[in-house]
Amino acid sequence: MRWRGWLRSWRIPVSLGAFAVSALAVAAFVPPGGPRAYAQELRSLPDTTSEPSDGKAEFYWSRLRYTSSGYGRSGYGYGGGYGGGSGGYRGYGFGFGYFGWSRDYPKADRQMLLALKRLTRIQMRPTEQVVDLDSDDIFNYPWVYAVQVANWSFTDAEAKRLREYLLKGGFLMVDDFHGTADWDRFMVGMRQVLPNRPIEDLSDNDEIFHVLFDLGVRFQVPGEQYVWTGRTYEKDGYVPKWRAIRDDKGRIIVAICHNMHLGDAWEWADTPEYPEPFASLAFRVGMNYIVYGMTH
Amino acid sequence: MFELLFKYPPAAFAQGRLVLLGSWPAWALAASIAAAAAVLALAMALRLRAAPASLAVRRAAVLWLLESALAAVVLILLWQPALAVSQLRPRQNIVAVLVDDSRSMSLRDGGARREDRAIDALRSGLLPGLERRFETRLYRFDTRVRRASLADLGPAEGAATHIGESLQELATETSDLPLGAVVLLSDGSDTAGGVDRAAIDALRRRRIPVHTVGFGALAPGNDVEVEDVTVAARALAGSRVSAEVKLRQSGYDGQRAQLTVRDAGRVLAAREIAFGSGGGMQVEPIMFDVGPAGAKSLVFSVAPLAAETNRANNALTRLIDVEAQPRRILYFEGEPRWEYKFIRRAADDDPMLQLASVLRVSENKIYRQGIKDPTELAEGFPTRPEELNAYQGLIIGSVDAGYFTPAQQALIRDFVDRRGGGLLLLGGRASLADGIWSGSLVADALPVVLPDSRHTFHREPATVSLTAAGEQSVITRLVDDPAANAERWRKLPYLMDYEDPGTPKPGAVVLAQMHYRGRTMPLLITQHYGRGRVAVLATGGTWRWQMSLPLGDPTHHEFWQQLLTWLVADTRGQVAASVPKSTLFDAGRVRLGAEVRDARYSPAADVTVTARVIGPGSAPRSIDLEPVRDAPGRFEADWTMQAPGEYVAEVEAHRGAVSLGRDVVPFQRLDGVAENFHTEQDQDLLERLAASTGGHYWRPDQMRDLARSIPYSQAGLTTHELAPLWNMPAAFLLIVLLKAGEWLLRRHWGLV
Repeated sequence: MRWRGWLRSWRIPVSLGAFAVSALAVAAFVPPGGPRAYAQELRSLPDTTSEPSDGKAEFYWSRLRYTSSGYGRSGYGYGGGYGGGSGGYRGYGFGFGYFGWSRDYPKADRQMLLALKRLTRIQMRPTEQVVDLDSDDIFNYPWVYAVQVANWSFTDAEAKRLREYLLKGGFLMVDDFHGTADWDRFMVGMRQVLPNRPIEDLSDNDEIFHVLFDLGVRFQVPGEQYVWTGRTYEKDGYVPKWRAIRDDKGRIIVAICHNMHLGDAWEWADTPEYPEPFASLAFRVGMNYIVYGMTH
Repeated sequence: MFELLFKYPPAAFAQGRLVLLGSWPAWALAASIAAAAAVLALAMALRLRAAPASLAVRRAAVLWLLESALAAVVLILLWQPALAVSQLRPRQNIVAVLVDDSRSMSLRDGGARREDRAIDALRSGLLPGLERRFETRLYRFDTRVRRASLADLGPAEGAATHIGESLQELATETSDLPLGAVVLLSDGSDTAGGVDRAAIDALRRRRIPVHTVGFGALAPGNDVEVEDVTVAARALAGSRVSAEVKLRQSGYDGQRAQLTVRDAGRVLAAREIAFGSGGGMQVEPIMFDVGPAGAKSLVFSVAPLAAETNRANNALTRLIDVEAQPRRILYFEGEPRWEYKFIRRAADDDPMLQLASVLRVSENKIYRQGIKDPTELAEGFPTRPEELNAYQGLIIGSVDAGYFTPAQQALIRDFVDRRGGGLLLLGGRASLADGIWSGSLVADALPVVLPDSRHTFHREPATVSLTAAGEQSVITRLVDDPAANAERWRKLPYLMDYEDPGTPKPGAVVLAQMHYRGRTMPLLITQHYGRGRVAVLATGGTWRWQMSLPLGDPTHHEFWQQLLTWLVADTRGQVAASVPKSTLFDAGRVRLGAEVRDARYSPAADVTVTARVIGPGSAPRSIDLEPVRDAPGRFEADWTMQAPGEYVAEVEAHRGAVSLGRDVVPFQRLDGVAENFHTEQDQDLLERLAASTGGHYWRPDQMRDLARSIPYSQAGLTTHELAPLWNMPAAFLLIVLLKAGEWLLRRHWGLV
C-alpha cells in the first residue's frame, strides 16, 4: 500500500518534529487562553458606536502589517474595508506579534478610535484595519500606523509600493522603537523605501503639533513598563525624538515617534496605574497626526 | 432678343411707367374688352346648338378664350399704350464707373485675373458704349475711391474693400454734378462687413442707380479658410484654454490637415483634423496651454494643402489677455476627509490658484489653511459681503445648509449672482440633499433639482464616464482628442463614494456621469447663474484617482486644476473693462466700456473712470469714460486706432481719491488681412446693392446690354419721354400666334 510506504519514509519524523516545534511556539506566544480567548477579547473591546464594525467610513485606522526580520509575518489580523469595494473580515492570523506589527493590537487601536470619535468630526469606522504591502489595497487607506519598526523588513516590491504610497499622498506614523540600535535597524528599512530623503527633528512650532491641539510642550511617553519600572525610557532611548520625513513640498509624509511608546499609552490608558498625563499626550499626538495626514 | 421684341431694353420697363395715349379713358378699354368677350361668348353659344358633336363645351370655351384674347390685344393697341420713362440727356450726364482695386481682384479663377477680366469688359463693350452718350468717369476703389484712367488700372493691391464707404465718398464728391448712374465692377468681397445703410441712403436720395457687375467664381476652388475662432478673451497664466475653430473647405473632402495654435511663432498646440465630405463648414476644437501672463496674439492656422488657390486665408489671429494675478478660492469643509486634502494638494501645484480653506476639525475648532494673515477667516465663514467678495471662487464641502445663517446663504447666492463668482458644491454625507440644501436660499443657483429624500450619499464604488459635452470640455479634458478623452475617463479608477445629485435643471450641462450597479447619475453638472457660474460634483471620492493611479499620473491634479480654473477664470473684479470686438479689420474705431462695482458689487455711481491707452509707436493717452444712461455702473468712450497694431487700455475707476480697481483690455487693428477671406464672388451683396438703388446685377458677358440700360435713369439731367408700345413686334407676333393657334385647333378638331 502506498500509505505504508509513506509511513516508512523520512517524512514522518520530519512532520512530527515540525508540528512539535509549532505547538511549542504557539504555546509560548499565544496569550493565555489561546485564539478562542483572543476572539473573546476582541468582542469585549470597547465599541460604543452605533456604526457596524465592518461598515464603510471616511477614515480607517490602518495598521501596517509587515514582515518582521527574523520573525515572519505573524500576529492577529482583523480587517475589512475596501479591497475592490467589498467589506468584511480579512481573517485572523495565528501568532503572537509581540515583536512584530501587531504590538498593542487591537486594543490600542480601538481606544485611539474612541478618542478620535469623541474629540473630532472625523467619520471613522470604530474598528481598525490591517493593511499589507503585498497588494495595492493599501492605496485605499491614505493614513497608516506602524509599530516596532526596528524589526520591519521589506522586499523590493514592498519598499517600492510603500514609497509610491507616500509620494502619492499617503501618511505613515511609526512608533514604539527605542535607542540607537533600534534606530539603526529602522533606518535600514526606511532607506529601502525612501533612500535619499532627509530626516529632520520637528520643531515645537511645526504645524503638525498645532493642527488640532497645541502641543508645543511635549514629554517622553513611556510604555506600560513604566508602571513597574518607573522609567520613561527603554534601552538607551533617553530622549524622545519627534522626527519626520517630508515630500518635495515640505509636507510631512512619515512621522517618526522614536524613544516613546504612544501605542502602549493608548492601550493602557484605562489602567489606573498608568499616569494620565502620558495617555492624554499620546492621544493628542495621535489625533494631531491623523488630522495632519488628512489635511496636508 | 428682348429689345428686338419689345423695342426697349428691360431697364426701360423696370424704370418706366405704363400709360395709355388714346383719347378714350382706361375704363372704356376695360369695358370694351368685357363687351367683346361677352359678344363672342353669345355668338359661341348660338353656334354651339347647331354645331357638330365634335365641338364640345370644353373646346368651345378654349376657342372663345383665344378669340377674346385676340380682341383684347387689338383693343389695347387701339388705346395706344406707351412707356413714360426718364432718360438721361445725351452728353450732359456723368456715368461713374468704379473698378474694385482690392487684392482679391488679383485672384485667378481658373484663368485670367478678375481685374484683367474687368478691364477687358470695359474696353470691349462697356466704355465705348457709354462714352458715346455720356461723360464717363473711371474710378478705382478699395477703402476709398480715386479717379483713374484705363491705363491706371491694375495691379490690384488694395488691402481692403469698403464698397459702402467708397460709394458714399463718390456721392459726396459728385454732389454738385449730374451723376446719372454708377457702374460698379467688383467681386463683392467687402471687408467692412457689407454696405451700410448710410451709403444706400445717400444714393437713393439722388435716385442714382448702381449697376453692379460681378467678377470671380461663385464658389471657392480648392481652398481651406479659417472662418472664425472662438476663444475666451481672458485666461489665467499657465492654464489650459479651449478654442473652437470654424473652418470652411472646398475640394478637400476626406483629406487631413494640421491645425495649429501659435504664440509669437511658438507652437502651443497642434492636431490633425479630417475634412468632412461635401465641403462646407466644420468646427474643430483645440486646446492649448496659454503660457505665461501678458497680452497675446495667438495665430490659429491650417497648414496649406496641395493646389490650394488661396493660402492667405488659412490663419486668423485672436487676442487673449493672460492674467498674472492668482485667483483666491475659499473652501469651506465641514469635516476632515480625504477629498479636502487632495483638493488642496492639487491646488498647491497650480501657481494661479490660492486655496484658503476652513475646516471644522472638531466642534470647537476650525482649522484654516492658505490664509494671508491670522485675521483672515478667524470667525469662520464670512458674514459680510466684502469678506466673501475678496474671493473669486467658493467651494462648499460636506456641510449642511443649516450651518449657515439665512444671511450667509444669501451671501453665497449673491456671491454668484451679483459678484460673478464661481460656486462648487461637493458630495458628502452632509452635502446636497443630505445637507438639506434644497430648502436653502442657494437652491435657485444650483444646476440640479435636489432629490426630496435624504440618505442620498453612499460609500459605494461608482465608476465614471463623460457625456458628449464633457468629451470636449476644458474642465474634463485629460486627453485632447475627444474620443481618447472619453476612453480615458471610462478607465479611471472608481470613486470612493457617490451622492445622488437629483435632476439637472434646464440649461445646466452635465459633463460627467457616474454608474453604480446599473444606475447612472450625473456626476459633474455646471450652469451659469447671474454673472457667475455654479457646479456640483456629486462625490467626495475623487481622491482615490490620485492614490490608485501610478505614481506621477497627473489625472487627479489636472482635473481639479481645470475645474477650479473654470470656477474662477471669468470672475471679474470691481472694474471690468471690455471692447465689443478685440480685433478690428481695416478699421480703427473701437468703443471702450467698463462695468464698475462697489465693494458689495452693486453698480457704482459717483465715480470717475479713466482709460490709459497704449498703442504702437505713440505715447500713452488718457481718455475719460462717460456714464451710460439707463445702464447703472456702465461707462463708455470711443477711441480710434490710427495705426494698425496691438493696443492695451488700462481702465481705472476712482471714487474721490480711492481707487475701486483697475482692469486691462487688449485690442488690435489688422489691416489688409480681411481681404484674403471670403474671396469668392459675393453675388448676393452685389444683387442687393443693385436692387436697393434701382440698378441691376450684370454678368461680365452682358456689358452691351448694360450700356443700353444706363440711359434709363431718374438721376442727373433727364428728359421725360413717352415711348409708344403699340408698334412693338411682340404685339403683332402675339396677334398672329393667337389667330394661328385658333385655326390650328379648329383644324385639329375637324371644324374647318
